[in-house]
Amino acid sequence: MPIYAPSLPPRPTMNEGLAPALVLARFDFRRLRHQKIGMFFGFAYAASLGFMAIWVYVRFLLKTNSALNGLDALANQVLVQGPAFQASLVTLGGWLTTLLWFQVAFVGGGVIARDTLYRIRPLIYAHPVRPRDYLAAKGLFAAGLPFLIQLPFILIPWGMSMLIAGVHGPVWATAPLRLIPAALLVSLLMGSITLGASSLASTPRAGFGWVLGIVLGLSALSTIAEHSLSQPALGAINPLALSAAWPDLLCGTPGPELGWIPALIGTAFHVVFWTFIAARRTQPSEAIL
Amino acid sequence: MSPVLSLERASLRYGDILGLSPTTFELPDGGGITGLLGPNGAGKSTLIQLLSGLLPPSGGEVLVFGQAPFRNPAVLSRIGFVPEGDRFPAGLRADRWLKMMGELSGLSEPALSESIARAIATVGMEAHASKPFARMSKGMRQKIRLAQALLHEPQLLILDEPFNGVDPASRLELMALLRDLAAQGRRILVSSHILGEVAMLTDRILLLFRGRLLAEGSVPEIRELLDRHPVELRVGTEDAQAVASWAVAQEELVGLRMEEGATVLAVRNPRTFLPRLQTAMLSGRLPLRSLEPLDLNLDAVFRFLTKDNA
Repeated sequence: MPIYAPSLPPRPTMNEGLAPALVLARFDFRRLRHQKIGMFFGFAYAASLGFMAIWVYVRFLLKTNSALNGLDALANQVLVQGPAFQASLVTLGGWLTTLLWFQVAFVGGGVIARDTLYRIRPLIYAHPVRPRDYLAAKGLFAAGLPFLIQLPFILIPWGMSMLIAGVHGPVWATAPLRLIPAALLVSLLMGSITLGASSLASTPRAGFGWVLGIVLGLSALSTIAEHSLSQPALGAINPLALSAAWPDLLCGTPGPELGWIPALIGTAFHVVFWTFIAARRTQPSEAIL
Repeated sequence: MSPVLSLERASLRYGDILGLSPTTFELPDGGGITGLLGPNGAGKSTLIQLLSGLLPPSGGEVLVFGQAPFRNPAVLSRIGFVPEGDRFPAGLRADRWLKMMGELSGLSEPALSESIARAIATVGMEAHASKPFARMSKGMRQKIRLAQALLHEPQLLILDEPFNGVDPASRLELMALLRDLAAQGRRILVSSHILGEVAMLTDRILLLFRGRLLAEGSVPEIRELLDRHPVELRVGTEDAQAVASWAVAQEELVGLRMEEGATVLAVRNPRTFLPRLQTAMLSGRLPLRSLEPLDLNLDAVFRFLTKDNA
């Protein structure tokens, strides 16, 4: 009777799924959705969005309802519909930007640090995943999250305004064309700083500290430099000032705190520098140590 | 038959530190388990990092399935890797983690779900796969890690210290599982720093120490090599003179010293010496109170072998 060598089961069909960067990014997004902190921020943003929708509707009523005519003049003085109002859709007078920074520090601080803590990167790199796939995935999550959060704050008030008042509504018809690039730049800035800070940390909690330390430390540094050297352009060192500047610049708010060139140079520097740090710190040789 | 993996004077440096000296060996194709044995810091994990494509060699050549594994998807998709360590984010569910790992291996639906179900069934974790890692025992987590490595039906499995901290019952289960996988035709490389553990599992051992491959062979061959290392035994007794007189007559004795209430014997081949000591004690010739091995650890054995091979 012949003896047959043992044979392995057939291998499943492979290389037909999503790109590794998308798989990793989707995993991070889904993890956040299942976490309590994700639910907390979800509630905070939903409440803010609801408040904004009511605000837009009230602005519409003030303009159109004859019973409220007396209040309209006052409202026009208090709630102007100029560039500053458009820019405030993605900043909510600084509230949304602050909440976003807090969130990217809290959630994004662990985006790479968690993998360092649990030694997940060696396992990931033992799959057909390149370091740039890994970095792209983490970048997609770190920058994609603040962008996805800002998007409804732009589109919902704009959609409401267009529906109830057309091009004469409180939100400009062209507002998304200005605010979406602004949100994209702010998200890139937040994402890159988060990536760099998280890659320097070995636990998510330390990552939170790194992000806050970098953001608040640079903010203090820029304030000192600005005042001691009397150079307002040095405010571009400050990530908080940069994230507040882009909506103003793109909406054409008069007298922005930062000019176009300092804002561009500052943002480009932060994005390149912190992405470089993250790329260096997520190489396979770093992953195994 | 071409080897599954081969190293030709492969070495690895971490800056100025030599992680692995130029090493040459190969593993044949077909099923079987090979143990990678060495104390902590011997270079086992370094060697595994080279084989699993995490790092390129600093010198020499590493080939897995005839190709260099470093950043080579064609090779990596044929390897199942279980790295050292047992830490997972507390709230993470095993099935969600397996899904991501399967997708990273290039699997997509419906093959992905089938692969996950099959791998979970192979390691016997059907009832626990939807639990978070925080609610699993260490043995259960290790099985899930093994399931992860099996998702894409790899031909080569590399496991770095898979039995560390696992309770004895789970250890035996894992060993049986690995033997089954080897019998199916998979080549398995398991690292460990415990000889007994590897000996229960494998027919072939690679012995590493301080970044050098000291020996390669079957378990009996390695045991014979280890038997040449004199082991020190402290024999607690009321009558140290009687023990000493009996011991000098034994051919395995290579040294003897007296301590208060004890005789310290240095013997080769403890596996033949100890049964004779036991017989003498049972016959009443030797009044033994206690028996304590002083340097019966792998580190001491490796130090001896290094001197022996120098």
